[in-house]
Amino acid sequence: MRYYVRKFGFYLAALWAAVTLNFFIPRMMPGDPVSILMAKLQQRGGSVNPEARRAYELLLGTDTGEPLAKQYLSYLGNMLHGDFGISVSAYPVPVSEVIATSLPWTVVLVGIATVLSVLVGAGLGMVAGWRRGTWLDSLVPATTVLAAVPYFWLALVLVAVFGSALGWFPLIGGYDVDFTPGWNLDFLGSAVHHGILPALTIVISSVGGWLLGLRNMMVSTLSEDYVLTATAKGLPDRRVMIWYAARNAALPSIAGFAISLGFVVAGSIVTEQVFSYPGIGSKLLEAVQNNDYALMQGIFLVTTVAVLGANLVVDLLYSVIDPRTRAGANA
Amino acid sequence: MTDLGPDSPAPRRAALPRLSPKLVTGLALITAITLFGVAGPLLLGDPDAINDIGLTSPGGGHVLGTTQMGQDVLAQIAYATRGSLYIGVLVGVMATVLSALFGIVGSYVGGVVDEAFSLFSNVMLVIPGLPLVIVISAFVPPEQRGAWTIAVVLAITGWAGSARVLRAQTLTLRNREYVLAARVAGEPAWRIITVEILPNLLPLLASQFVFSVIAAILSEAGLSFLGLGASNSSTLGTMLYYAQNGFALQRGAWWWFAPPGLIIALFGCGLALVNFSIDEIINPRLRAVPRRIRHPRREPAPVGRPSQDVVVSVRNLSVTYGNTVQAVKDVSLEVRRGEILGLAGESGSGKTTLAYAINRLHRPPAEVTAGSVTFHHRDGGDTDVLALPSGELRAFRWSQMSVVFQGAMNSLNPVMTIRAQLEDVLTTHRPRLSRHDRRARCARALELVGVDPARLRSYPHELSGGMRQRVMIAMAMLLDPQVMIMDEPTSALDVVVQRGILREILRLRDELGFGIVLITHDLPLLLEVSDRIAVMLGGEIVECAAAEEVLARPRHPYTRRLLGSFPSLTGERGAFVRTGEATGGAR
Repeated sequence: MRYYVRKFGFYLAALWAAVTLNFFIPRMMPGDPVSILMAKLQQRGGSVNPEARRAYELLLGTDTGEPLAKQYLSYLGNMLHGDFGISVSAYPVPVSEVIATSLPWTVVLVGIATVLSVLVGAGLGMVAGWRRGTWLDSLVPATTVLAAVPYFWLALVLVAVFGSALGWFPLIGGYDVDFTPGWNLDFLGSAVHHGILPALTIVISSVGGWLLGLRNMMVSTLSEDYVLTATAKGLPDRRVMIWYAARNAALPSIAGFAISLGFVVAGSIVTEQVFSYPGIGSKLLEAVQNNDYALMQGIFLVTTVAVLGANLVVDLLYSVIDPRTRAGANA
Repeated sequence: MTDLGPDSPAPRRAALPRLSPKLVTGLALITAITLFGVAGPLLLGDPDAINDIGLTSPGGGHVLGTTQMGQDVLAQIAYATRGSLYIGVLVGVMATVLSALFGIVGSYVGGVVDEAFSLFSNVMLVIPGLPLVIVISAFVPPEQRGAWTIAVVLAITGWAGSARVLRAQTLTLRNREYVLAARVAGEPAWRIITVEILPNLLPLLASQFVFSVIAAILSEAGLSFLGLGASNSSTLGTMLYYAQNGFALQRGAWWWFAPPGLIIALFGCGLALVNFSIDEIINPRLRAVPRRIRHPRREPAPVGRPSQDVVVSVRNLSVTYGNTVQAVKDVSLEVRRGEILGLAGESGSGKTTLAYAINRLHRPPAEVTAGSVTFHHRDGGDTDVLALPSGELRAFRWSQMSVVFQGAMNSLNPVMTIRAQLEDVLTTHRPRLSRHDRRARCARALELVGVDPARLRSYPHELSGGMRQRVMIAMAMLLDPQVMIMDEPTSALDVVVQRGILREILRLRDELGFGIVLITHDLPLLLEVSDRIAVMLGGEIVECAAAEEVLARPRHPYTRRLLGSFPSLTGERGAFVRTGEATGGAR
C-alpha cells in the first residue's frame, strides 16, 4: 500500500512541477508574448475582449502589476478547468479543442509503436542474451546504429524508399481525406495504411534500446543462482529462459521505462512533422511557427500529463511483476 | 562458477578496456568523423559559396554533389559536423557535471538532501524533454538563440537519467570499507568524494558522458530540423532542415539529405561501441566468452558397476576453464548409497567445479576434458551422465540427482512464489500428476523439513535465510532422488539455524536413504556428520577415507595442516550436531 501512495504522491509532485514550470518559463523569457498574441488575434479579425486578454496574461505573464502569487493561483484555477485560452493559429477554436482532436492520433500511434517495439526488442534481447556468443548475439552491436539514427532522418529515408520510390505507402497525412473520420472500415483502413511508416520509424529507432538493455541484463541474470537451480531442476529451456531469467532481467528495463518513453515522445514529435501527421507533435510545431503560445503551453502540459500517466501505469505494472516492491521496502 | 560467490570482492578492475574489435571500430569511427569535422572545414572551401549548378548529382567537381543553390554538399557537411560535435561535447560536459552534482553529492550526503535531489532528478526525468526544449526555444527570440543557449537548454533537460544511475552506484560505494574508513579517519567530504568515490565512478561517468553526447547531437539535430536550433549556426540538423525545405526528397536529391543523417548515425554508433567496452569494465559479466573448444572423445569410457552399494562413480575426471586453468585434475571418486561423503577444501580447490561437473552444470568456459561419470540406478542399469543427450539429461537431473546450492539467499527466484517453484519440478518430471496431488506433495515436502505449508504462498523475500534453505532442501527431495549434492548448504546461516538444518538433513537421510555429497570448507563440521571425507587441494583429491580415519590418522600433510588450523577438535565426535552441545569448534 505504501508503495502505491508513494507513487501517486510522486506523480502528483511531478505534475505540479510541470505546471509550475509552464507558468514560469514564459515569464522568465525575454519578449512580450501577450502583445504578440493580441496583435495576431487582431490580424485574424478576432475581437480582443478583456476576458481573452486576461487568460493570455495568466498563461504567459505580463507587467500588469498583479502580484505573482495571485497570478499563479488564478493560473492554477484555469489549468484545473482545462482552460488554456484560445488558439490563434486555429482561431477561434479553444486550445483544449485543438488538443482533443489531435491527441488521439498521437496516443494511438505512439502507443502501438511502443508496445511493438517493447515486444520485439525485449523478445530478441532475451533470446540474444540466452544464446550468448551465437550469431544472433553477435548482431547486437549492429543495433546501436539504429538507436543512433535520427528519427526524422529515418522517416525521410523510409518515405523516399517506400513512399516515393516504391509507392507502397502514402507520403503524408493521417488518413485519406475522401473518408470521414469515424468508426467505419474505410477510414480505419486508411488510417492504418497511413500510420505504418510513422510507426515503423518509431519502432526501428527505439527497438535497439530495449534489445540491448534486456540482452545485457539477461547475461547478468544467467549467472544468478536461481537460474542455475532451475537448470539443475531439469526444467525445459524455455521455462528457465522466460520464467527464471527474463522475468528478472526485464525489471531494470521496466524501471527505466521513463527514459525510453521520453525518447519516443521526442522522436514522435519530429516524425509527425515529416509525415504531416495530424497528431499533437505537428500541432506543437504549428503553434511554435505561428507564435501560438497558448496552444504551445497547452500541448506541453497535455503531453506531460500523458507521459506521467504512462509512467504511472508502468510503475503499477512493475509492482505486479516484482513482489518485493509491494513490501514497501524500496519504492 | 568457481568458489567465488557473487558477493565476493571483485578482482581489481582493469583501468583500460581491452582492444576488442568493437572498441577499435568505435574509436576509428569517432576519430575519423572528429578529424573530418576539425580539419574538413580548413580544406574544403566555402560551404556557402553559391553556384549556378543547383542540385547536381555527385561526381566531377563536387564529390557529393551540390545543394539547390549550388553549394558544395561535402564542404557543408564538414562545417555542419563541426557544429554538431561542438554542441554535443558542450552538452555532454554540462549534463555530466549536473548529473554528478545531483547524483553523487546527493547520495553521498544522504538524508534530506538525497531525498530532495533524488526527487528533483526523478521529476526532471519523467517530464518529457523535447517538448520542454521546444517550448523554451520558442520563447527565446531567434536572434538571441545562440549555440550556448541551445546547449544549456539541452543540458538542463538531459542530465536526469545519468544522475539516477550515478546515485545508485554511489549508494553502493558509499558503504564500502575504504570509504567508511576514510570517514572514520575524519577526512573532509569533498576529499572522500574526489579521492575515494570519483575514481571508482569513472567508467560509469565516461559511459554517461558518451550517452549524453549522443543524445545531445540527436536532440540538437531534431531541434534544428524543426527550425528551432541555434541561429547562425551550421549543424547537421540545420543542413537537413534546408534539405527538407529545398524539397531534396521530392526531387530525389539523396546526396543532400542522406550524408548528414549517416554521419550522425555513424558517430552515434561509434560512441555506442565505445560504450560497449566501458560497460564491460563496469560489469565484467558482459565480457565475451571464449568459444567452446570441442575436445576429442573422452577417455576412459564409463565404468561398470564396481559394487552394489555404489551409486555414482567418477573416473579420472578433469575440468578446465578455457584451456588454461585446470580446476579439476584426474579425480576419481565413488558415492555410496545412503552415505554422506564430505568434500573438503579451501576456496578455489575445485570442489564446487567437481560437484557441478558430476551433474553437468558447469558452464562455459568450464569444460570436462577427460574422464567419466557413471550413475548406477537402484534397480540395475547404468547411465553415462556425460554422454546423455539434452532431453534425457533434463529428465535425469533432479529425479536422480538434485542439488542444494550455496548461498540460500539467491537459489530461489525472487519473483515467483514458493509453490510455483516447487510445483514446476513436478509439472516437468511428473506431468501426469493431478493438480491436487501436486499440491499435496509440495505441502508434504515442506512439512518434512519443518516449514509450515502455508508458506507455499510466500515469496522468497518473505522468508528468513534458514527457512529458504529448508525450502531448497524440500525441493531437492521432491522427486526422491538417489543422490543429493549439497554445496555449502549452511554456510550463510547462523550457528543455531545451521545446527537445526544439519540435524534435519541427517534425519531425512536416515528415513529416505539418499546419498549426500556435502561440500564445505568447514572440516570440523564434516568430521561430525560425514561417513567418508575427501580432501581436495589444487583440483586433486589428496586424501579420501572414513571420517574417523581422517581425524585419527590424516595421511596427507595438507589434511594435517587443515586439522591443525581449527582451534579445538577435542570434543566427542557428533556431540555438536546430535546433542546440540557446542564443542567450541563450530565456526
